Amino acid sequence: MARLNDDAQWIVLMGFIVSFSLFFLGIVINQSTVVGQTTAEGVLEFPKNDILDIRSEVLQSSKITVAADFDDVKKDISSIALSRKNAIVSFRVTQAPPGSTYTKIIDIHYNNGVTAYNETTNY
Amino acid sequence: MRLCNNLERDERGVSEAIGFMLIFTLVIVGIGLVTLYGYPILLQTQTNADERIMEKNMIVLQNDIKSLTYKSVPYKETSLKVGGGFLTVYNTTFNPTPSFTIADLSGPITTFNPGQLQYESVSAQQIITIENGAVITRPMYETGSVMLAEPRWFSDTDPITSKTTSVIYLIGINSTEMMSQAGVGTVRMQLSETNYTEISTPANQVTVTYVPDPANNFSVAWHNYITNSLKWIENPPGTYKLPTTDTLVIKRYDIMIKGL
Repeated sequence: MARLNDDAQWIVLMGFIVSFSLFFLGIVINQSTVVGQTTAEGVLEFPKNDILDIRSEVLQSSKITVAADFDDVKKDISSIALSRKNAIVSFRVTQAPPGSTYTKIIDIHYNNGVTAYNETTNY
Repeated sequence: MRLCNNLERDERGVSEAIGFMLIFTLVIVGIGLVTLYGYPILLQTQTNADERIMEKNMIVLQNDIKSLTYKSVPYKETSLKVGGGFLTVYNTTFNPTPSFTIADLSGPITTFNPGQLQYESVSAQQIITIENGAVITRPMYETGSVMLAEPRWFSDTDPITSKTTSVIYLIGINSTEMMSQAGVGTVRMQLSETNYTEISTPANQVTVTYVPDPANNFSVAWHNYITNSLKWIENPPGTYKLPTTDTLVIKRYDIMIKGL
């Protein structure tokens, strides 16, 4: 009777192991294709330059002494911010109380639907 | 000891043919199992991956639209791969189409047809659409819908003047002709027309009415967005009441899809 030669059984075993590992590898690769498209959106959304621009304009316009002119400038800044930058902007300049180191108190309000920004500056 | 030796040496019950058959059967059963269960699972995962990639792609496209509208960028293009379905432009003149009507007590202010940039997944039977600046998904043959990314409607109460301003964006998707895409391609978009309406003292109560396309109904998503995120009140169904507002701003944009 021929003796059973079982020297090459590892080939069959390796076949099983390789095919099953390929199968699971396929699943893993399929899962990983969805990763890797996110952007740093939160950072991009923050309107830093818009706020800085508005702030600079407001601080400059606070030097206007004629009340009617100041109201015009205020309206213009609000309308331009709303139509161009899609942000609601309003501000108010009040005189600082007597004895204060500062001359004016400036309140700025900015809201573009995502970022709301409020500031009170002693100027 | 003698018994042991006998057991080791005696190979009268061992058959090479039976051993071969056993192993061969195992291999065949293995192949069969993988074909029967493994392959459909792989296909399903592929379909899911396609769908999730398209969800992200649609949000990327929405970001492009945000750049075009809120940031006044004139032109944007994005390359993307549309897998498992089609990306189609239904422009604002396509019929039937959903509509948004904004009205105050003195009558309708504007009626708007948003148009759609829509992905229809054939394999997953899912629809993902960009409608009026929002990314919405819904199953193809069932009711109900979910908003994946919200538009930017907002109300602002100014702490300085204590006045409330409500801003409603209407973003229309337009094209010169019906276009559709499958596979790798580039979506080219251009800002074509803007319209800006500011109503300083609207006759409160201001309402927004959404009339869905019955064949492509996203009313659940809009309902959830407006009543949960914006906290507006729905009465009657489909009509949403804004909180009392001092200034109503309606900004209308037209996005022209130049090519898919």
